[in-house]
Amino acid sequence: MITVAKNLYQYRELIAALAWKNIVVRYKQSYLGLLLAVLKPIMLMAIFTLVRSFIGIETDGTPYPILTFAALLPWIFFQESASEGVSSVTSNTALIKKIYFPREVFPITAMVTKLLELAISFFILAALMTYYQIMPSIYALWVPCIILYTMIIALTISLFGAAINVYYRDMSQLLPVALSLLMYGSPVIYPLSLVKQKLLDEQMAGEWSNHLYTLYTLNPLAGIIDSFQRVLLKGMAPDFNALAPGFILIAILLPISYLFFKRAENWFADII
Amino acid sequence: MPIIEVKNLTKEYNLGTATSLKDSLRHTLAKLQGKDTWQRERFKALNDISFTVEEGEVVGIVGHNGAGKSTLLKHLASITKPTTGEVIVRGSIAPLIEVGAGVNPELTGRENIFLNGAILGIPKKIIQSKLDEIIDFSELEQFIDTPVKRYSSGMTVKLGFSIATSMDADILIIDEVLAVGDLAFQRKCFDRMEEMINKQNKTVIIVGHNIRQIERISSRMIILKNGEKLLDASPKKVSNLYYELTNKAILAQQNNKIDNNINATAQSTGDIEFNNIQISQNDTICESSIVIHQPTKITINFTSKREFYKADLSIGFHTSDFVYIATFNIGRKITYDIKKGINEVECTIHDLPILPGTYGIRLSIVDEFAGILWSKEGIRSIAIDPGEISRTMLSMESMIDIIPAWRIKTAR
Repeated sequence: MITVAKNLYQYRELIAALAWKNIVVRYKQSYLGLLLAVLKPIMLMAIFTLVRSFIGIETDGTPYPILTFAALLPWIFFQESASEGVSSVTSNTALIKKIYFPREVFPITAMVTKLLELAISFFILAALMTYYQIMPSIYALWVPCIILYTMIIALTISLFGAAINVYYRDMSQLLPVALSLLMYGSPVIYPLSLVKQKLLDEQMAGEWSNHLYTLYTLNPLAGIIDSFQRVLLKGMAPDFNALAPGFILIAILLPISYLFFKRAENWFADII
Repeated sequence: MPIIEVKNLTKEYNLGTATSLKDSLRHTLAKLQGKDTWQRERFKALNDISFTVEEGEVVGIVGHNGAGKSTLLKHLASITKPTTGEVIVRGSIAPLIEVGAGVNPELTGRENIFLNGAILGIPKKIIQSKLDEIIDFSELEQFIDTPVKRYSSGMTVKLGFSIATSMDADILIIDEVLAVGDLAFQRKCFDRMEEMINKQNKTVIIVGHNIRQIERISSRMIILKNGEKLLDASPKKVSNLYYELTNKAILAQQNNKIDNNINATAQSTGDIEFNNIQISQNDTICESSIVIHQPTKITINFTSKREFYKADLSIGFHTSDFVYIATFNIGRKITYDIKKGINEVECTIHDLPILPGTYGIRLSIVDEFAGILWSKEGIRSIAIDPGEISRTMLSMESMIDIIPAWRIKTAR
């Protein structure tokens, strides 16, 4: 892990240059440019708000549009970072075959690139908060930590997926499908408080309820989305009980995923 | 301590395509059950290569296509890992493996300079300070803010080379880059290379097919063949071996070819049909080799459908890379008329002055207005042998052997 940090520092200029290239290339010759990037959370927010008016979802008093937007923000950042990260190695074939630098630069660059779109989404969130007259509290200082944690999760998936994708291109096709399924298993459309209430308070699934809740929070995004909403909208500290299972899972998976990537890296240029 | 050490390097590749997920799973299952019957055919791209390079050396690596040159460079640049063996590099490496690998077509020239600088590991500050120099060298001042996708291919390569050579690394790895751009730019690249080698005392590994250039620039050369190191010696020895191998390959091709093809591929009006060429020395017909400094007779036989007055016929020698060495024509000596039917021309060289090697013979027949009636290069390949003369007495750096009269004058 120390070498990772060292590499990260040593190759910071390269990561910055590659991320900048990704952004410039994506938005060159497009007039709407970055606005298109934030269209996705806004559209989804509108659709969810519409759906909710039919089925009714409890929100603890926070206005639903902003609650779901605050959930979509880290979720979409995670989803796009992971998808981009998985195909980041195969989409840089020319570089892989010609020049050596630590290959984890590619998935990391994919994460960094997505930060810009996230930053723009934050402006929209700020506008929404002004509209609903929600003041951020001191707990908003948690946000950078939450974003960094999200990046680490996306990186865990990306490192493993990117290495597999060099051998089997199925990976970059399968992952977006899997991730959009995971969205329904994450508190994006509904808040975590609802899951907690049904499982922990009402014990809906009988004696399995507590285990099911742990299983649910094993998805690190559950904790992240909930914490994000709490620190920004509700003025509360993150719920560490909801964060813990996912955090332990990632702490185990990240080193495995990294070692797997590093082992596969040696043959990238031969196989790709 | 050598700056590069290659020890028993072997690289194997699997032949055939990468397997599908289904096949891989099936073979993994078979392996788990201990039934490992499946083996893909392996190909040795490099076979037990060992050599060292000292600091400041310029090593040229040559070999025919598929000899393993590029694979070797990939190992030096640690792009790929050896199957067995070891590669130790002590110092930073600037890989110019196919210049312009990192050039992005959507970005402008200037943006690409910064991006490629970062890819090659050049700090941004250094790029900033060298920016003018790079743009100046690339000769692209006017187009530097235009996206590279609108550049011509030559311009792209010029840009790539300019960026790559501005990097300050201990070891430079160059693959075929000297063949970029127009002649003037090639000259400039070559000068830049020589400057880096001579003044900055850099270690350079250079790979390519332009043997004359590599021979000039290198202090040592290595020749590879089918993944094996054939010879590691002085540039002269290695390039001689390279030419010998090339010539052998050409002769082998020649012998396999059916000769009636010659008329079909020649540049011709259709009036003349070439029949055959015969080379003889001392009244014996020579099939594949002749001897230097011997009287040599070349007989050309062709059929003409018409008569041509005041025509001309020329015969010439050229190297395997089509450098014309000598051409001689009949029209200079006598008025030559081509008759209808079979014509035969006999040409005698009293003392063949061409140095040992393998050469091609070209034939060209023109009419009175110098319009080409029949012309073709390489109608025959012939090896010239040193004969009685010791090879070491003959200069191998040139092509023509002139035997002048010498006289030593000493002032008293």
